[in-house]
Amino acid sequence: MLELLQGPLLISILAGMVRIATPLLFSAMGELVTQRAGIWNISVEGTMLLGAVVAYVVASTTGSPWLALLAAVLACALISLIMSFVTIVLKAEQFVAGLALNLLASGLTLFWFQTYVIGREPPKFAGFDQVDIPLLSDIPFLGSILFSQRLLTYVAFLLPVAVWFFLYRTKYGLEIRCVGENPKALDVKGLSVGWRQCLAIMFGSLMSGFGGAFLMLGYSDRFVPDLIAGRGWLVVVAIIAGNWMPFRVVGAIFIFALLEAVAIHAQVVGVSIPHHFFLILPYVASLVLLAGLRSRTHQPEALGVPYSRE
Amino acid sequence: MISVQRRSGSSLSWNVACYSAAMICAFLTSAALLAFSGGDPAKAFSALLTGAFGSQNALYGSLAKATPLLLVGLGTVIAFRAKIWNIGQEGQVFAGAMAAYWMSLWVAPLPYWLAWLLIAIAGLVGGGVLGLLAGYLKVRFGTSEVISTVMLNYIVIYILAYLLDGGPWMESGLTVAYHQSSPVNPLLEWPILLGQGSGKMHIGFILALAAAAFCAVLLEKTSLGYEIRAFGSNPTALRFRGTNIRRLLLVVMLLSGALAGLAGAGELFGTSHRLRAETLLGIGSSGIVVAMVGGLRPSGVMLAALFFGALKSGAIYMRLKSGTPAGLVSAMEGLVLLFFLCAAVATKLQLVRVEEKVHA
Repeated sequence: MLELLQGPLLISILAGMVRIATPLLFSAMGELVTQRAGIWNISVEGTMLLGAVVAYVVASTTGSPWLALLAAVLACALISLIMSFVTIVLKAEQFVAGLALNLLASGLTLFWFQTYVIGREPPKFAGFDQVDIPLLSDIPFLGSILFSQRLLTYVAFLLPVAVWFFLYRTKYGLEIRCVGENPKALDVKGLSVGWRQCLAIMFGSLMSGFGGAFLMLGYSDRFVPDLIAGRGWLVVVAIIAGNWMPFRVVGAIFIFALLEAVAIHAQVVGVSIPHHFFLILPYVASLVLLAGLRSRTHQPEALGVPYSRE
Repeated sequence: MISVQRRSGSSLSWNVACYSAAMICAFLTSAALLAFSGGDPAKAFSALLTGAFGSQNALYGSLAKATPLLLVGLGTVIAFRAKIWNIGQEGQVFAGAMAAYWMSLWVAPLPYWLAWLLIAIAGLVGGGVLGLLAGYLKVRFGTSEVISTVMLNYIVIYILAYLLDGGPWMESGLTVAYHQSSPVNPLLEWPILLGQGSGKMHIGFILALAAAAFCAVLLEKTSLGYEIRAFGSNPTALRFRGTNIRRLLLVVMLLSGALAGLAGAGELFGTSHRLRAETLLGIGSSGIVVAMVGGLRPSGVMLAALFFGALKSGAIYMRLKSGTPAGLVSAMEGLVLLFFLCAAVATKLQLVRVEEKVHA
């Protein structure tokens, strides 16, 4: 265990943590806005998977990771219309709708994977390149952890600030929060609840598209059907454990990311403990976090309750 | 003019129309998906049907595939009717199979009927305990069961991966892990009732039918069933009535998990005879689909389990005949579920002809 804490290895673990945190940050910030608008959307896992599949297909056919990212984000925004239709128009149980989307995404992915990928030479794809920020990346220790990452990682790390600013310092953010807390108040003012929820769901999906695409193009070297491996669920955990507050959510995400980075490095270094036990860590940590952080003071009052005037 | 209104009662013919439309939509979308991916929908679907119903043996195969789906579906019904969102069926199936396998390592010297009983009970207990754990986290720490059950899925699946890959249950005599255990003791395999070759229906099917009867009686005729339904529709009223909500939650999670666990044990000792993640993977999520498509009623779940069991069984033949991957059935599950969700809303509505007011 001690060798894990030596210099170069520690840098590698922390840099890994930053990289792994990237897709989680995207999805979590999107899902946070969705949930603050009162929609209990548990389809993050499925949406990220869709984003990853689309990114993989487009990246391997066009060779451009940026085009792939665009396609993934668009596809996820489109699929969010299903969620909006079922939850806002039909007012079905939100949990059930999210579950259905997750099952649909994994089913379609499995079919696509068995049709196009299995038994063939997996198509090559170009991922995102590392972008060293001049000067900053030369800082000892911190430089290689924080400033020698992919471009999207820098975006992801600025995202919580942007989402915080949007939610707490803009009129639209206030409206979104109001939809989650007291939709009636907004409705009486003549402002559409459904329309805002639809946009919030779309934003959440779109961000999960970023997350899924990054996981594929900035993190993995091949596609597997369980690529997301529960990360979409960890995002939901992070939001609950973070009491629906942007920066606390980020804190929870760093814990998951650190544990995953440790697990990967433990496998490489060759610790005597079977590596499966390291891989379990984020999931165990999520249960511990939820049991320990039980404050739900910022949970939107109307979370998961379909709004109707009657 | 025709307007859409909320329906006061429910009409059987309208329900049938809505769900038939949903089923047709799901099949058309699947056919489009197939055509889009370069397959021949007509060929694939006819192979699927032949594989599912084409011969007596195919029929038995469909029943065998329906068995675990029915058990998991029933467990899901018990939880979902109470609006307790147990979605840890995947892990509970694994836990049941693992507990049953562990039990089988000890009980071989016992008389067959006792060994068989102990293995079935181990399956029930394995799944039940995992469900109970999520229930405990809910009542003790307020942890959402949606989250805890999903997390426990991953934890259990990794534990099984460890046990089979370098752990104590790795197939003996091998240096390379095939991610499977040694075959179970042939004396302990569950008896085959009907069929041979690929279509073998084991005694678990009878157990599943019994479980369906048990669930129907439990939900409709017992006070626990009443509490389950009441907790789903109006938890506050139930609380005021003085019902012990914590106990109810734990009992529901225990029962729900136990049925999934039995499905896992049956799959291991009735069909695959080796503990292996691939053979168990997907049973849990298909079972959830079966429960919801079955309208969360034991009778509906039986129909849905037979339907999806037939699809799963037919998919094997379909892949051989038309080259269409079996994953098509997973995609169809998602599509059927989504369209049924919409149809369920539609059944509550009606089209009414409204006389237009004539302004003088």
